Amino acid sequence: MKYIVDIAGQRLVVEFDGTHVSVDGDKMSATLESIDGTPVRLLRVGDTVHRVLAKRDGARGQYALDVDGWQFRAEAHDERTRAIRDLADASRASAGPSPLVAPMPGLVVRVMVAAGDEVAAGQGLVVVEAMKMENELRAAVAARVTAVRAVAGTAVDKGAVLVELAAL
Amino acid sequence: MFNKVLIANRGEIALRVVRACQELGVRSVAVYSEADARAPHVREADEAVCIGPPPSSQSYLLGDKLIEVALKAGAEAIHPGYGFLSERAWFARAVRDAGLIFVGPPAEAIDAVGSKTAARQLMISAGVPVVPGTTTALRDAKEAAAIADTFGYPVLLKAAAGGGGKGMRVVRAASELESALASAQREAQNAFGDDAVYVEKYIDGPRHVEVQVLADMHGKVLHLGERECSLQRRHQKMMEEAPSPAVSPELRARMGETAVAAARAAGYVNAGTCEFLLDRDGQFYFLEMNTRIQVEHPVTELVMGLDLVQWQLRIAAGEHLPFEQKSFTPRGWAIECRITSEDPANGFLPSTGRISHLHLPSGPGVRWDGGIEAGSEVGLHYDPMLAKLIVHAPTRALAISRMQRALRELVIDGVETSRGFHLRLLEHPDVRSGDMTIQWLEAHLDELTRGSAPDDTIRIAAIAVALAAHQDKQVRATPTAADSTHSESHGASWRAVARREGLRRE
Repeated sequence: MKYIVDIAGQRLVVEFDGTHVSVDGDKMSATLESIDGTPVRLLRVGDTVHRVLAKRDGARGQYALDVDGWQFRAEAHDERTRAIRDLADASRASAGPSPLVAPMPGLVVRVMVAAGDEVAAGQGLVVVEAMKMENELRAAVAARVTAVRAVAGTAVDKGAVLVELAAL
Repeated sequence: MFNKVLIANRGEIALRVVRACQELGVRSVAVYSEADARAPHVREADEAVCIGPPPSSQSYLLGDKLIEVALKAGAEAIHPGYGFLSERAWFARAVRDAGLIFVGPPAEAIDAVGSKTAARQLMISAGVPVVPGTTTALRDAKEAAAIADTFGYPVLLKAAAGGGGKGMRVVRAASELESALASAQREAQNAFGDDAVYVEKYIDGPRHVEVQVLADMHGKVLHLGERECSLQRRHQKMMEEAPSPAVSPELRARMGETAVAAARAAGYVNAGTCEFLLDRDGQFYFLEMNTRIQVEHPVTELVMGLDLVQWQLRIAAGEHLPFEQKSFTPRGWAIECRITSEDPANGFLPSTGRISHLHLPSGPGVRWDGGIEAGSEVGLHYDPMLAKLIVHAPTRALAISRMQRALRELVIDGVETSRGFHLRLLEHPDVRSGDMTIQWLEAHLDELTRGSAPDDTIRIAAIAVALAAHQDKQVRATPTAADSTHSESHGASWRAVARREGLRRE
């Protein structure tokens, strides 16, 4: 089997049969075993064992991983699925950046942008208070603000759209 | 000793006090908000009383209600834990007025050190060193120079309304003072609309080092050495250790004597902590006194070999401290990591959810003080600290590797936690060598949270996700559950092969 893995900004090709695996050509023995009754899987690569948490995160093939205390978001598909996804992604790219949503329920403390503003990647857009801490929510990519839905002083639920964004 | 104690707190510290009560043969009464009905501290206590809805202002902060519940349950004392009402003098007074015993210092002692300015005056009169400086705004450079001369350079000019480094200037010589003051005032005026600027001694490379004290009702005051708590983010400690890598036995004795003097000046009884700033030259300055049991008390317990929470109860019950100062020498090294439900990769945003799986580390020298279990809901009502992972080992280097081992064993599934962040922290050369100041963590936050994993780890993760995705696909392809034992052939064969491999190796 051949899987294409997108992880940590890289695309790696992982090929495997029942006992061995190769990553971008380097071959080694590898097995993955579940521990019954837990979400933990044990990955044996060569002579070392790694404790792995791999949980479905979003769409099929997307995972949240914890490997030796490092967290990753990764996407793994076989060749055919990967090719189809790449085509779909290319056509979706023109749809622009996704809106800023509240990652947890909380209180909107400050809104720092207005419709029409151009924002840089990493720029703070809205401050939401939860657990008595103020959390600045930032733009993931450079974008233009098309609408501001958040209102200072109001409570928001997890997933509520705070700021609508469009590609520059 | 008491027959029954009410614990006016929640989470790990409530469970910690329940355990101390159980070991002393004291009955415990837990209180809980509706959000905590199924929390471990509720179940482990002998009795539990619901005191209101989830917001702490309607539950854990209702002093009168807590006292009423204690009286009704027949408790003789109230242990406040930390946070909530633990450092409110009015609560300590109300508990006493109700004929109950507050497990902590007398209300007068809380008052004496409660306000920063009053505490500063009290400490100066007790001969406890404080950071030298003014508490009123400077008029001009001439006044600033006169004051700076009394304690020497470098000095720090600091905006009264300050924050975020604005209106702050380090001045290393008298000749720089005039222009530095002018620009600090200008900056303060622009940033805060107030040009008031203070001057104080500049502390070079300051560490946060605090000293544990224990005082009984009969005039005996002891210190139990120090804790190093310099690793802080937004004034929240992330990791603590005892002893401090920067404190020699001679300095420990001096800081300890100073902490004892401070406690005596405040009329202190029970467990308390004196916080100091320690500079590179071994000069230390009193910051404030915490009049409660501290979150990080276990590191002191482990190196000093006593149970501080049990001693809090014993002292409150009137017992004499049977120790002498010379019996307290730190043995080995202890480190604590505060495991919080925060996502370090995402600006430490609080993470909520249900803990679906929990595997706790164990083995030699590992202690877990937690308030969670599998099935616990982590909400937004309370502090994000889930538990404390504490290790004890003969040396600092061994304590670090023991903590790394324990953190790797720990599995918390369901919410994001600070576990990975602590592992990164313990890999950093500065932390490993003990070279840190109170600014260190903030300055290295990006490096610690945005740094990418080693290539080897990324490859391992890529293999893991490819195999996992493939296994999950096989499971999905299985038509029904009944068939799965036979037709889950691929997943099963992976396991069979793995077992064979494992056996062959023996």
